[in-house]
Amino acid sequence: MKKLIVLCLLVSLAIACNNDESTNTPTPGSLNLVFQNTIDASPLVMNDLVYTNTSNENYGINELKYIISNITLIRLDDTEYIYPVEDSYFLIDEEGNKTASLVNIPADTYKAIKFGFGVDPTKYPIESGTLNFVPLAEEADMLWSWSAGYKFIKFEGNYSVNSGSEIPFLYHVGSHGATLDNYKEIIIPVSNMVIQSNGENDNITERNIQFDIAKIFDSIHTLSLEAKNEIMVDPENAPKIAENISTAFSISE
Amino acid sequence: MRYLKYIIIIFFINGCSSDSSDENAIVSTDDTPATVTNALLDFSVPTNFPDATYSIAQNPPTERGFELGKKLFYDGQLASDGVVSCGFCHIQSFAFTHHTHITSHGVDGRIGTRNAQPLHNLAFMNEFTWDGAAAFLDTQPIIPLTAEVEMNETISNVISKLEADDTYPTMFYDAFGSEGVTAERMFKALSQFMVMMVSANSKFDKWERGEAVTFTAQEEAGRIVFDTKCASCHAGTLQTDQSYRNNGLAMVDPFNDIGRERVTGLPQDHLKFKVPSLRNIEITFPYMHDGRIATLEDVLDFYTDGMVDSETLDEQFRRDDGTLGLDITPEEKVQLVAFLKTLTDNDFLEDRRFAEF
Repeated sequence: MKKLIVLCLLVSLAIACNNDESTNTPTPGSLNLVFQNTIDASPLVMNDLVYTNTSNENYGINELKYIISNITLIRLDDTEYIYPVEDSYFLIDEEGNKTASLVNIPADTYKAIKFGFGVDPTKYPIESGTLNFVPLAEEADMLWSWSAGYKFIKFEGNYSVNSGSEIPFLYHVGSHGATLDNYKEIIIPVSNMVIQSNGENDNITERNIQFDIAKIFDSIHTLSLEAKNEIMVDPENAPKIAENISTAFSISE
Repeated sequence: MRYLKYIIIIFFINGCSSDSSDENAIVSTDDTPATVTNALLDFSVPTNFPDATYSIAQNPPTERGFELGKKLFYDGQLASDGVVSCGFCHIQSFAFTHHTHITSHGVDGRIGTRNAQPLHNLAFMNEFTWDGAAAFLDTQPIIPLTAEVEMNETISNVISKLEADDTYPTMFYDAFGSEGVTAERMFKALSQFMVMMVSANSKFDKWERGEAVTFTAQEEAGRIVFDTKCASCHAGTLQTDQSYRNNGLAMVDPFNDIGRERVTGLPQDHLKFKVPSLRNIEITFPYMHDGRIATLEDVLDFYTDGMVDSETLDEQFRRDDGTLGLDITPEEKVQLVAFLKTLTDNDFLEDRRFAEF
């Protein structure tokens, strides 16, 4: 009984506080965003040095993890549905979970998906959620050990030049204390994405988001592994990787 | 009627109140005098202090949150060996630093690379640790909790241990008004404990506030020397401009500490460390980021005669004749030490609210 009263009060409060949404909120639905890491529009093949960047370096990938956050859906009228920030942090792992499952989304038609790559320092840690992401990030080794911050991407593998011996490479990009912010906001348009209320059916909208891994090396900037095979807390190259990544997402419908 | 307190607490924490101006409000009602309440604690900025940098409104310290933070602070369970708590290296009578080791000690007798910093007036700091590796107080504990040479634990393990504990789940409930032992709540409770550590009752504070204290002639002379020769970096009421500077300490084995460069990756930050607040400096020896200097007198001798040159040395330490250091006479050094001792705040050092036992 006590719990019920508390619950009722909480619910009434939540409703009372929620004055930025329209009063006749549509019934909610679900959306799965499936992140597909690709090169040349094909799923990644791990480990083998089967890829070549524009610097003519052959490379293979052993590990690929990154943080997606702050998911927002943009309606046809340009208004936004901001997914609850505290539930908005996802670890995407090429060899693990690659889906961001979103629930309780107002049924509506949306024209774009906005998300963050990494963790927005302006929301960290004051808005709830970022601190609760710490244990998961730590288990995935996405936390700098000596600093209180996240690695936004962990991208590791081997490369060779002119069929020479295999050399390890490692890109770890995050923000550098309060001095350098490598968080990126990404907006990708979708054509009239309809979120239906779940109702009695299990209506889950699903969209595949492609992350073109080749663009980590080659996009706005060109990064050569031979020039630098270990990029970590690197104020010159880490922002270049972050900028390249911000161009690498697209959606297939 | 027991549930009423939770309703009220929940109302306060989750409620619509966008204004947190009324920070002294008691989260309780006259109807429930017998129940356990969770009063908001009085965090007030001393009149001679700058504004707080910590967002008190977003994590207002409460009686129960503070109590939880204090228990966490002194609990060895948070370390992998079940022994090394935060309070192991941060001892109240030494302004929450320690004296027995030059650098910090961790699990299995492991030695850290830096001198544990005192904890006081943290609500007024922009960044934390000697190199600013933590941009927020709420995240700072991640570093000592997970460092192999400190508490050597994972945050997931810490949360599991707290969940399995007899008392923590209830304390988390009482502090935050609902079920849940979470990382966020743990960090917020630790912050609630730490932001309340305001040291503002030294002789210097009373002098600044125009209260009934008088500096001795030596203290006053020292204050003037300080203002002229030290306050360009050790600026303001808290004696720090919160910048990072190379003060001419040689990089030495075994630590070979590159300073803030580790955080920013910038060569210009090589060998730079945070200008520390000098509050309670008399009892926070040894000094410098690696505790290499034992006494205040030796610190002043270092500043006049002990610096070594390097590219990032602060320009203020270059004399016209090419030598390095500040010009402070032996007499002025004695005066400076007398002044620095006016920064000791015995009320803070003995404040029962923060005491382990």
